Amino acid sequence: MKPEDALLAARAAAAERGDELPAGLCIEPTERVSIAQFVEWAAIEPDPASMRSTRRLGAPITFFKRQLLHVLRQYLRELEAQQTRFNLNVVARLAELEERVDSLEQRAGEREQR
Amino acid sequence: MKVHQVLSGAGRYDAVTMQALAFRGLFSAWGWGGRDVAANIDPRVAAEIAPISSLTPAADDLLLIHYSGYAPRLRSVLELPNRKLLISHNITPARWFWDHDPMAAVSCALGRKQLPEFAAAVDVAAGVSLFNARELGSEIVIPILFDPAQAGAPGPPDPPGPPTILFVGRIAPHKRQDAVIRAFELYRRAHAPDARLVLVGRSVNDTFEVAIRGLADELSPGAVTIEYGLTAEQLAARYRGAHAFLCMSEHEGFCIPLLEAFHFGVPVIARSVGGLPEVAGDAALLLGEDDDERVAAELLALVVGDSELRAELRERGARRVEAYAPEPTVRRLRAALEELNQPIGASQSTG
Repeated sequence: MKPEDALLAARAAAAERGDELPAGLCIEPTERVSIAQFVEWAAIEPDPASMRSTRRLGAPITFFKRQLLHVLRQYLRELEAQQTRFNLNVVARLAELEERVDSLEQRAGEREQR
Repeated sequence: MKVHQVLSGAGRYDAVTMQALAFRGLFSAWGWGGRDVAANIDPRVAAEIAPISSLTPAADDLLLIHYSGYAPRLRSVLELPNRKLLISHNITPARWFWDHDPMAAVSCALGRKQLPEFAAAVDVAAGVSLFNARELGSEIVIPILFDPAQAGAPGPPDPPGPPTILFVGRIAPHKRQDAVIRAFELYRRAHAPDARLVLVGRSVNDTFEVAIRGLADELSPGAVTIEYGLTAEQLAARYRGAHAFLCMSEHEGFCIPLLEAFHFGVPVIARSVGGLPEVAGDAALLLGEDDDERVAAELLALVVGDSELRAELRERGARRVEAYAPEPTVRRLRAALEELNQPIGASQSTG
């Protein structure tokens, strides 16, 4: 078979077979981040497990880094709390503005119809 | 002449870093000096790449900016009075990362916003493919330097062992390893129960790797291998043992693994996206916009089972590798930098 004929042949074979696509994780792009998603991200929760060394034989460095996190936990919690407070307030304000724009657009639309 | 290379980020397995280091080798061979700096540096390449803050070029030094992502400190480079060449390696649209790696999404969003501003501020803007260059309103292409001589010998036309499908690329949302696994599973069920899938690439993060491994274990238990950190010899062995290369990526600026597959004689099936059709030419089986994993699975069956098709694709692939031979790329790079080094009036007169 010539490469130019392969795609048509494959399409025909796939149509004839009529298989269902296997279920499970299917990655799709996020065209617009929803307010609900913003809220979820706003409350920050860094995973301490992601703190690790990328060096060869980095296990002792990973251990040291995690100990450091542990020692600094009071300060880091305060940092997280302050950042989350700011994030959530911004998201709440964004949600209010979105609602207000929607409502104004709706009223403008109604006025035009009259 | 001195050429300093500026990278957004530098990593051990990063194609842009490898490209910059290859360019540095050429510059040294031509007797040119300069240093390579990056905004974000993986400690494993810290011996070769210096922090961007250490860049102190003389007035007549050239700057070669490899732009592949947002970095806050890069902006300071634009303010330097030196002449600049920017090569865009493309940035993935943020929409692929919001759900899986928000920080990468932020970086992509800012990077794509920053890129046109950078392109407007440099003396010459180029892309590693025409697709990338045109995003900047340029027609100048300096492709990725791919040296087949360093890759090793091609593989046999029909590798021994069970049908083996390969994909090489970072495990990232836009690379769509989930679709590769699904297409492979459909192929395995219908045509080759003993088939194997090899995915080579490091994941963007641990959570995403767990998700991809989970899908592989759920759909094709024991048939999928995920590897990273391979040596050049190990990677060559994976290509030589593969019967087909399946790329379901949704965004590619260039796609070096495509050239690697062509070089090793592995038939390629890929989505027709970004710079990929330009690199593939007529040597790959390109899926249409509406073709899903079912069509990809049937293409896998064709390329693995049809020796005439395999031989033709292998031959065409070898021609694509010739089209991307290093010598013309090296000449283009040198000409672009030498022209940039001309006094302003002279460079305009040479056109």
